[in-house]
Amino acid sequence: MIDKLLKGFLNAYTLTVLINLLCLFSLTAEAKRPEFHLALKNHLFYPAKITIPRNKKVKLVILNHDHSVEEFDSFDLNREKVLFPKQEAIIFIGPLPEGEYQFFGEYHPNSARGKVIVVDTQIPKKELDDETALKEGEQHVN
Amino acid sequence: MLINTIIIFLQSALPMFIVIALLLLCLTENLESSKRIVTIKKIVALNILVIILVLLLNYFMEEISQLFDGKGTEFVFSAGFILIYLCCALVFLLGNKHLYSRAQKSLSLVILLLVLTLNSSNFMLYLTSYWTQSLTGEYSGVESLFVGIILAVGICISAAILLFFFLRYCDASLHKKTSNYFLLFFALAQLMQSIVLLQQVDVLPLSYSLWNSSNFITESSEIGQLLRVLIGYETTPSLMQLIVYICAFIIPVYLSTNRSFVRFTSGEAL
Repeated sequence: MIDKLLKGFLNAYTLTVLINLLCLFSLTAEAKRPEFHLALKNHLFYPAKITIPRNKKVKLVILNHDHSVEEFDSFDLNREKVLFPKQEAIIFIGPLPEGEYQFFGEYHPNSARGKVIVVDTQIPKKELDDETALKEGEQHVN
Repeated sequence: MLINTIIIFLQSALPMFIVIALLLLCLTENLESSKRIVTIKKIVALNILVIILVLLLNYFMEEISQLFDGKGTEFVFSAGFILIYLCCALVFLLGNKHLYSRAQKSLSLVILLLVLTLNSSNFMLYLTSYWTQSLTGEYSGVESLFVGIILAVGICISAAILLFFFLRYCDASLHKKTSNYFLLFFALAQLMQSIVLLQQVDVLPLSYSLWNSSNFITESSEIGQLLRVLIGYETTPSLMQLIVYICAFIIPVYLSTNRSFVRFTSGEAL
């Protein structure tokens, strides 16, 4: 009898936690966010510096051009995402106060480095086209 | 290469060694000492299952990552972390109840299975990446990989043994449920990981950080890493993380101290 009651109680507890979590999920409708692109080539991030607006949630699309797996990692942004070869990965960051936030490739931390610069402007610097991004990417962050 | 291997292995393996130490403590404390906690047969079966699951997860990881609009990995891992929290919370609630020794053992095996599988898969990805690059001639020096793993295993074993004896001392002299509370904090750390993963893919709302404690302890430091595994330390927690952390701590603690619940789980009639 007690076993059954306990089982019921534990099931109810599990169910409550799951329902709470589902409620939390439903709170967020995926709204359109400003999009920023990042590429990984030869274990280097292009561009190595991304400028985003202050206090805005943004979508970061990372394309891994390499043939090996990499992991995008940032202690400052509290983000970690595996980047599979020739695949695109999406993460959301922000809202962030002004400042610089470092990120790196966990498997190649010496070469794959970059930073997100958060500035006090509503209109972020126009995204760079591929060629400019490649040039800018050469000035890597140490 | 050597340092990187040590860091990545530590990040993946430390939770495994810590949870083994915590579960050993909780089970020896909660169950009759004369009884064997787990049989060799079960350990072997668990290890075989973990290896199969890690290989499968590693093999299908790329496909999983593309599911749900690129949110597949986050969903799978966060579900695993939430399950770890629930199992640890149940072990915490059933603490000191000999009536449920079998349930505690089964839950511990589920916790071990999940922690080992989820964390090993991270390191397997690194090994796969290393392997791919060594085939193309980008990398050489398998020695540094092995030396790194051996050093990291040594650090993990030392940390787990120190924690085991420290908590055993605390259980005996400070509070008999110290190790149970540490297990709950470990579970909260896992739950925090799931919150971060779900926020990362915008399933849970992203919000401002409440504070930034990186001036005191950075998450990338050794202490930061250890605290992250032990109590779910975050340098820049969001409001949602704080609320979930507090609720997920209070509910099991309240239930474990609630008289009706204690009588109920002790097998007494209500």
